[in-house]
Amino acid sequence: MRLRRAEGVGVVDAGAVVYAATLPDGPILVLAGVSALVWRVAAETGGDGLLDRVAAATHEDAGRIAPHVERFVDDLVDRGLLVRDGE
Amino acid sequence: MSESAPVPPAAGAAGGVPLRARLSLSRAAVQVLADRAGCRLLHIKGEAVDPALGPPRYGSDVDVIADPSRIAALHRTLREHGWRVYSTFRFASSFEHAQTYLHETWGYLDLHRRFPGIGLPDQAAFERLWAARTERETAGIAYRAPSLDAQVVILVLNAVRGGAPVPAVWEGLDGAARRRCADLAVALRAEVAFAAAFGRLAEHRWRREYLLWRVTTQGGPRVAEWWGRVLAQPTFAEAVRVVAQAPLVNTDRLGRRLGRRPTRADVFREFFARAGRAVHEGATMLLRGGKARR
Repeated sequence: MRLRRAEGVGVVDAGAVVYAATLPDGPILVLAGVSALVWRVAAETGGDGLLDRVAAATHEDAGRIAPHVERFVDDLVDRGLLVRDGE
Repeated sequence: MSESAPVPPAAGAAGGVPLRARLSLSRAAVQVLADRAGCRLLHIKGEAVDPALGPPRYGSDVDVIADPSRIAALHRTLREHGWRVYSTFRFASSFEHAQTYLHETWGYLDLHRRFPGIGLPDQAAFERLWAARTERETAGIAYRAPSLDAQVVILVLNAVRGGAPVPAVWEGLDGAARRRCADLAVALRAEVAFAAAFGRLAEHRWRREYLLWRVTTQGGPRVAEWWGRVLAQPTFAEAVRVVAQAPLVNTDRLGRRLGRRPTRADVFREFFARAGRAVHEGATMLLRGGKARR
């Protein structure tokens, strides 16, 4: 299922850190390191190859980190920052 | 693992968020609320200044000029979303131009109904600026800003009000651009303040705004400021209103100083304290005038 940034989400990409907020009320979420990578891949490319890219960036086995990444994406969806197409 | 697995993002108020990022998100949040309220906004100053006019200066708050006819609707929407009034139009400045709001996440918002120095009626001035608006974006949210020429005029007016020199952007303009900006200042009836910025205020000493801008740029006692405000009003009714409120207490500021909502007794005491200062300043001014005539 493809991911995309939710409507009305403000994002400031400061390089190492991404600041994202559901507008107009917030809060501001601070996404750094792997969190920022997950955000960029999910919001900008629909999540294509998300697990592989995170695994490559962290030198970890994709299977081992899959539950963590999935849980994190779920959290971003729950917070209204990302939506899964079809939802 | 070189980096830990993703953790739930840090959430909360603006703690730990750099001012620049917070202001961008704040500007976007204000625009979203304005869209909901059906209120047109022109974003000014800070990040809203076009990069063609120089490197961005983020400032410390978000400044917007709102469609005067929709300010009440925007005010209601802001209040519904956690923005509280920090200082009111009435007490914000001699120009009664802006109302300041504060939000625990987004910080300060200066909501302008007019820009100091522009003498055109508020709605007409807004429509003039809106007609030549430019499209901008912050944090992925679209917003509108005045035209480049209008931004220069606003920067010049902002500088003169703050006692600052003519902004550097002016030096970078060619003759044609300067003429366009000067013509726009006239169209906005901002020529008195515009002239003050270039040290030519005396050329306008016959204008009703002259004293207010003289006090603004050169300083003076509060009595002169009040009188300047009275003279600057476009109608007799407005002048009467300013006369009537001149000695009143700025309850916004008094409340902040006391750390609580002022009681009637607080206001009563402050009224006489201010009146005493005003009388003293008035006497001082009269004495200065007397000496000057001798």
